[in-house]
Amino acid sequence: MKIKKFTKVLSALTLASSLVLAGCASSTATKASGIQGIKERGVVKVGVKVDVPKFGYKDSKTGKIDGFEVDIARAMAKKILGDESKIEMQAVTAKTRGPLLDSGEVDLVIATFTITEERKKSYNFSQPYFKDGVGLLVKKSSGLKSFKDFNGKKVGVAQSATSKNALQEAAKKDSINVQFLEFSSYPEINTALNSGRVDAFSVDKAILFGYLDDSTEILPDSFAEQEYGVASKKGNDELAKIVDETVAEMIQSGDRDKLLAKWGIQ
Amino acid sequence: MNSPFALFKWQALFQDWTVFAEGFGVTLLTSILALSLSILLGCVFGVLGTAEGKAAKSTSRVYVEFIQNTPLMIQVFILYHGLPHLGIVLPVFPLGVLAVGVYHGAYIAEVVRAGIESIPKGQKEAAVSQGFTFWEAMYYIILPQAKKVIYPPLTNQAVNLIKNTSILAVVAGGDLLYHADSWSSNNLYYGPAYMITGVLYFLLCFPLAKFARQLELREVAKA
Repeated sequence: MKIKKFTKVLSALTLASSLVLAGCASSTATKASGIQGIKERGVVKVGVKVDVPKFGYKDSKTGKIDGFEVDIARAMAKKILGDESKIEMQAVTAKTRGPLLDSGEVDLVIATFTITEERKKSYNFSQPYFKDGVGLLVKKSSGLKSFKDFNGKKVGVAQSATSKNALQEAAKKDSINVQFLEFSSYPEINTALNSGRVDAFSVDKAILFGYLDDSTEILPDSFAEQEYGVASKKGNDELAKIVDETVAEMIQSGDRDKLLAKWGIQ
Repeated sequence: MNSPFALFKWQALFQDWTVFAEGFGVTLLTSILALSLSILLGCVFGVLGTAEGKAAKSTSRVYVEFIQNTPLMIQVFILYHGLPHLGIVLPVFPLGVLAVGVYHGAYIAEVVRAGIESIPKGQKEAAVSQGFTFWEAMYYIILPQAKKVIYPPLTNQAVNLIKNTSILAVVAGGDLLYHADSWSSNNLYYGPAYMITGVLYFLLCFPLAKFARQLELREVAKA
């Protein structure tokens, strides 16, 4: 009797999960994707950050999203559709950008997305359009002067950011013990730094500059170079190719450097 | 094939199973301690809520209303980000036990109060007339009878409590959901990660619900 019940429950679970899986599979299959889908729709759907000043930032007064990466998105739209205004932006976080690509809700993610070998298995990445090292933002009053002072300290990092791995290696090299706390957004890490929950806020340097104020400073240390790429869904190789070409052209023509200068990114 | 549930993503997950085991341990321990705290608070404030004295009653009301009518997330944020500005830095594990315990304590207080009020007034009056003090009457006469009214909603609270410990993920609490977030956002193998996490929560909650259902049936059979 009991065993029968158990098998019933188990088969129900199996059925439910396979239904869910089937649902996922069919929804991605029916949606026209890739270049064709974009052209039919007449608009490129791009996932961008809204909390990273200079890269992708939503101005709370005007409600407009703007930044270096938004300009890259415009260049993509110009290349694919011939009109740079044909973009539809959606705010993404480190946690949502992968699923949004998989489900086809966005065609491209241009959101401080660091290229790693592991991630290349799941998504297509363009060649890097930006390189940056990981830095440490600390309170001036903390007295921390370099990463060597971090034994037993807590470092706030962003989920899905590669900074944790970079720092872990550096910590091993300096044989110090550092604890990592992961948060889902940059403002949260900044709040944690202000409330003393973490001793340092560590992400890519260009992002840190957006959070610098009178009471904080960025330490001279720089860790593992991070390379940002434009991500698209695996399987849409045509789209990936155009995206990669566009990035290459922007770098060659100097347009990318102009944009970097426009946004004051070092 | 590159679905969110691709085989190699499952393999990566089973290779890193200790990450999930660690989170599961923290969630389990937080749940047990928070549940103990919430039952303790629930009993005390639930009984106070039925007391004759005005002060006792209003203390209970203030606690219950304040906690029930603000989101748990806000309470956790105040404890995590707010208190440090006053010089109080609670480590995140006790903070989680406290936040979730106090939150569900308020709900359990209401469950206990309703249970006590379901027992005819004559029972307490009879007990007091026999020389029982208020707390003795509660402990020996009222609560044993109120138990079977209390059990079913109490179980609901216990199950909800376990699920609500996942709030710790937003303040880097090291619980199961935090580890699932951390692991899956790094490699983006979110499909298997959240599937397994869901199953693990189910494994915690389902036996508890089952156990409580049996307790409840036994109480009904006794009556």
